[in-house]
Amino acid sequence: MFNGWVVRLFLVLFTALLVVSCGKQNKQAFYNSGIIYCSESNPVTFNPQLDTSSTTSDASSHQLYDRLLDFDPDSGRIVPSLASSWLVTNDGLTYVFQLRKDVAFHSTAYFTPSRTFNADDVIFSLDRWRLRSHPYHYVSGGRYPYFESLGLAQNIASVERVNGYRIEITLKRRDSSFLSNLATDFAVILSEEYASQLAEDGTPSKIDQLPIGTGPFKFVSYRKDHFIKYARHNQYWRLINDNTPETFADNESQNVAVNSTQQDETTLANSIEDASNTSVKQLVFDITPRSSLRLAKLITGECDATAFPAQTELEVIRTRDDLVLAEKPGLNIGFWAFNTQRPPFDNPDVRHALAAAIDKNTLLEAVYFDSATRAKTLLPAASWAFQNDADDTAYNPVLARKLLSDSGVKPGFSMTIWAMPVERAYNPNAHKMAELIQRYLRDVGIDATIVSYDWTTFRRHLQEGLHDSVLIGWSADNGDPDNFYRPLLSCGAIPSGTNRAMWCNKDYDELLNKALQTDNIDERNAIYQQVNRLLYERLPLVPIAHAYRYQAYRKDLENMTINPFGGVRFGGVEKTL
Amino acid sequence: MIQILIRYSTLLFLTLLVLAFMSFSLAYLFPGDPLENLTGLVPQNEMQREALTRQFKLDGPYLIQFFHYVENMLAGNWGYSFTSGLPLREEVGIALPATIELATYAMLMALFIGIPLGYYAGMRCYSTSDHVINSTSITTYSFPVFWFALLLILIFSLQLDSAPLSGRISLLYDIEPITGFIIVDILLSELANKPLALKDAFSHLALPTLAIGAITTASMIRITRRSVIDVKHRPYIAAAVSRGLSSWQIFFRHILRNALLPILPLMAIQITTLITNAMIVETLFSWPGIGNWLIQAIYQRDYPALRVGMMAVSTVVITLTILVDLFNRLIDPSREKYERATV
Amino acid sequence: MPQFSLYDEEFHPSPWQRTWLSFKSSHIAMVGLAMLGLFVIFSVFAPILTPYTAIEQNIDGLLLPPSWLPNGSISHIFGTDALGRDLFTLIIYGCRITLGSAFVTVVLAMLVGVSIGTIAGMLRGLRSSIVNHLLDALMAIPTLLIAIIIVAILGTGLVNSMWAITLALIPQFVHHTRSFVRAEMKKEYIVASKLDGANKWQLFFHSILPNMIEMLVVQGTLALSIAVIDISALGFLNLGAQASQPELGVILADGLDVAYLAPWNVAVPGMAIFLLVLSINIVGDGLRSALRKRVSH
Repeated sequence: MFNGWVVRLFLVLFTALLVVSCGKQNKQAFYNSGIIYCSESNPVTFNPQLDTSSTTSDASSHQLYDRLLDFDPDSGRIVPSLASSWLVTNDGLTYVFQLRKDVAFHSTAYFTPSRTFNADDVIFSLDRWRLRSHPYHYVSGGRYPYFESLGLAQNIASVERVNGYRIEITLKRRDSSFLSNLATDFAVILSEEYASQLAEDGTPSKIDQLPIGTGPFKFVSYRKDHFIKYARHNQYWRLINDNTPETFADNESQNVAVNSTQQDETTLANSIEDASNTSVKQLVFDITPRSSLRLAKLITGECDATAFPAQTELEVIRTRDDLVLAEKPGLNIGFWAFNTQRPPFDNPDVRHALAAAIDKNTLLEAVYFDSATRAKTLLPAASWAFQNDADDTAYNPVLARKLLSDSGVKPGFSMTIWAMPVERAYNPNAHKMAELIQRYLRDVGIDATIVSYDWTTFRRHLQEGLHDSVLIGWSADNGDPDNFYRPLLSCGAIPSGTNRAMWCNKDYDELLNKALQTDNIDERNAIYQQVNRLLYERLPLVPIAHAYRYQAYRKDLENMTINPFGGVRFGGVEKTL
Repeated sequence: MIQILIRYSTLLFLTLLVLAFMSFSLAYLFPGDPLENLTGLVPQNEMQREALTRQFKLDGPYLIQFFHYVENMLAGNWGYSFTSGLPLREEVGIALPATIELATYAMLMALFIGIPLGYYAGMRCYSTSDHVINSTSITTYSFPVFWFALLLILIFSLQLDSAPLSGRISLLYDIEPITGFIIVDILLSELANKPLALKDAFSHLALPTLAIGAITTASMIRITRRSVIDVKHRPYIAAAVSRGLSSWQIFFRHILRNALLPILPLMAIQITTLITNAMIVETLFSWPGIGNWLIQAIYQRDYPALRVGMMAVSTVVITLTILVDLFNRLIDPSREKYERATV
Repeated sequence: MPQFSLYDEEFHPSPWQRTWLSFKSSHIAMVGLAMLGLFVIFSVFAPILTPYTAIEQNIDGLLLPPSWLPNGSISHIFGTDALGRDLFTLIIYGCRITLGSAFVTVVLAMLVGVSIGTIAGMLRGLRSSIVNHLLDALMAIPTLLIAIIIVAILGTGLVNSMWAITLALIPQFVHHTRSFVRAEMKKEYIVASKLDGANKWQLFFHSILPNMIEMLVVQGTLALSIAVIDISALGFLNLGAQASQPELGVILADGLDVAYLAPWNVAVPGMAIFLLVLSINIVGDGLRSALRKRVSH
């Protein structure tokens, strides 16, 4: 009774094998046509304005979009992107951007652009997060955590269109980190035409799920827990060489601090020339939460590059000839934050006691395998405001016990340590760190339990403030110290969900604002030293480590660079087998 | 015959009804709001909530709610996933065939390797070759499937680099899911480089099939061997021997068919084990199947997905089990009604 | 008074003795039994036998290689894990938790299963048929699915995963008990005791149960091996025991993170589960063939 079926099955298998045996010549060409990147988690959305997690910005920011400005990955300087040049008035309040012409938006199955990029797109992108009255503001939740945590919207007085390719932004207060903020992963430029088309169709929230941008790759499909697929954007402006940037050479000899940086243009153009005849037609993010599995895929060649190799695996990658491990000191901080709105953690003495109960050096050794430096303040040594002689907590269980009993915390007190479920450069294994801390706390008579959820749920619960303490961290989006201090601990960052300590201190916020009023590095340095002292006294969080940033990829990828300021970039990356 | 068919269809119907009720009650048993667990939609305000409650008849008595639930399930309106926001029917429609495909190949492997080997061992029982086969099978049978899969990955993927370790096919291929079976889909697709894709799909299939198939094969060998030995001790075999039939004649005339009969109901039990193993192995090989999907759903506490996933998997397994049972009953009416043999 | 015995053959071993004798004659089964015995001893006397405690972390000795590798030392036979815990100690505690909880699970499932099975076996007609069909349905639901549902309702934890596995094991016991009771109820000795006026309780406890014990032991070993695999699988998938409990599956999952640097962290716990299951299966197999031999003689 099975016979007919079995025969048919064999027939299929046989023909299959037959076809398999003839046709190896185009194999290489085919596998060279796409890059597979093993990413660590699901993006929350495809619009980085809406989310600060690096998973989201990795999957969207540099792949799908461009910003007005960019950071040069080597020097960290601000270089032109969609804005070909800009000028700032001497009072530091007005910025004028000249926009690039002939920049094409993605043309996909769900949207065909009828015009190229212009001032309307910039105004739409900025107004969306800036103005509560904007029709798109409340689409997809209406939270713009990065901008909220910096209070950027409140500081912008107006965004004006000068002409089709020139816009003017006026600030209320001086902000010496404003340009840096426009160059971060989050300040992407969306398509105004797409948005109005969606608004007509009555499906505005699609703008964040089926994204349209100007970046090197366009979105194709996404399956949660499995993959994100992108196709090459053939009209990408950096691929088309005859793009002569407009400058301010002709006009306005007013009080200007002009930036046109001809030199940067040429270096960029060079790297673009290589990219113009690229063979890479596809980019795929293979979502693989387990880091050991990511490395396995890298070894077997199923991935060409992987996110966040675990610290324990670095040696393995180094010893293999076919893999490359790139490293750079990262602009990041891993810390242990206390929920300062919950007693007894609202008492600085208790926080000091807990800080004294743990031995940071041990954590560095066991969790980071010495690929990190001990953190005293929020700032890593790579930042210009790094303070070498800042106060630091020390391991002192005796002191810890004394402080605890003085502030009325009885032995056997129980608390939770939330350990984030994903690896990050700043904390490659939060769970392991939590286990170590759990043991240290047991020594001082505190019974700690470790809590973890999947990443999305975890962050949602954190924002609701359900934690006692949490092991988490922060990767900077630009080199400005304000990018550490403000999002992590200012009052404004509590609702936006980046202030994990739920800590709000008027003095602290005032100091931070004062630091932005000046461009003088020494003055700002002095203010940040005061900030450091204040943080040491109040200790809303215990800084633990500044980790190196690693990126592992196969040798056949060319032009792969580490971007110290956030997301991974695949524009211009080549594959040769 | 017709009576048996009716009996089994009522049985199937009642069982599915019980399952549907269990899946419905999960919405109330799971933490959180039953409305959200049932629909997968999170109402933004009170008005929406009321509208949804009315739409799903949650204001009525439980029986009406259940009735409405079954109606919705039959209409293909299964609710939405919390985490992806996609219709669950679509997600299950992609994930379930992937698991069935994997399980089918593993089952085929078990049938084509396990049964012949089992016959061989049973015919040669207590000889050296039987001991070798038998101890190999008991060893294989004792492997925890997740460790076995890890060992396969370690040896074949990482050391020998001869098979990929994740997914159904290289992600560079864009295969439209038509039947959900990757091999069939490739053959149906308009792909330019079909042979390459097929080869890739086969190499992706190799390790997970081996991991699940080996353990099922081992139990198949044991079941078949046992059955053959039992048959060999029957009086009619002794009679045949005394009539001077050669051992080949005895095997083909008497043992082959009679030993096959008790194997069938045991295969029904194997289906459950097979699916369980497939679900575990999927997570290791990142196979985009229902097991992987359910485990992600539990990690993310995606209750609507769990509710539907439970319903889908158990429906498939139970339908298969009952079908095998029915088939078995049809070809072997002598069997006592609900008897099952031991492994 | 010593009895005079003329022939050796007059020694009549009890049924249990006969089973044991035939079990003993198989070398493989004896090796399996010895292995299982070792595991049981390890589990029971874990605190005495282990050189360290299971939670004792040693920061200076992270990922020390096992003793058979060139730079391994004898103070940590199986090396240490990523937290500097002694792997040998962990494995022994792991066996204790895995085997112990599997045992509890099986006993629970057996108690419930036998009671339901007996009732079902003594019932007749429609009620019996309903119980059977329901059981068939329950039996077909994969364990992992039951576990996932229970975890979703009650949360993760070793105890919850034990409930799930108990639930999954019960139908098998019910099934076997039921068919056994049915078959037995038809036998003459039952009829005889019925005629003696025994009620159902007496029938069960005095006549059926003693005969059922062998079947239960065999089914129990089978269930035990399934329970061990399932508990460790759930631990491995992070749906069962949590990281603070050294369960074998959890240790294996932990080891996966350092698989490249310290492969023994994957090899040793996996091997432990494998050997544990193997020894249970061998003993079960030996037991079954011994019983079969006895019955067929």
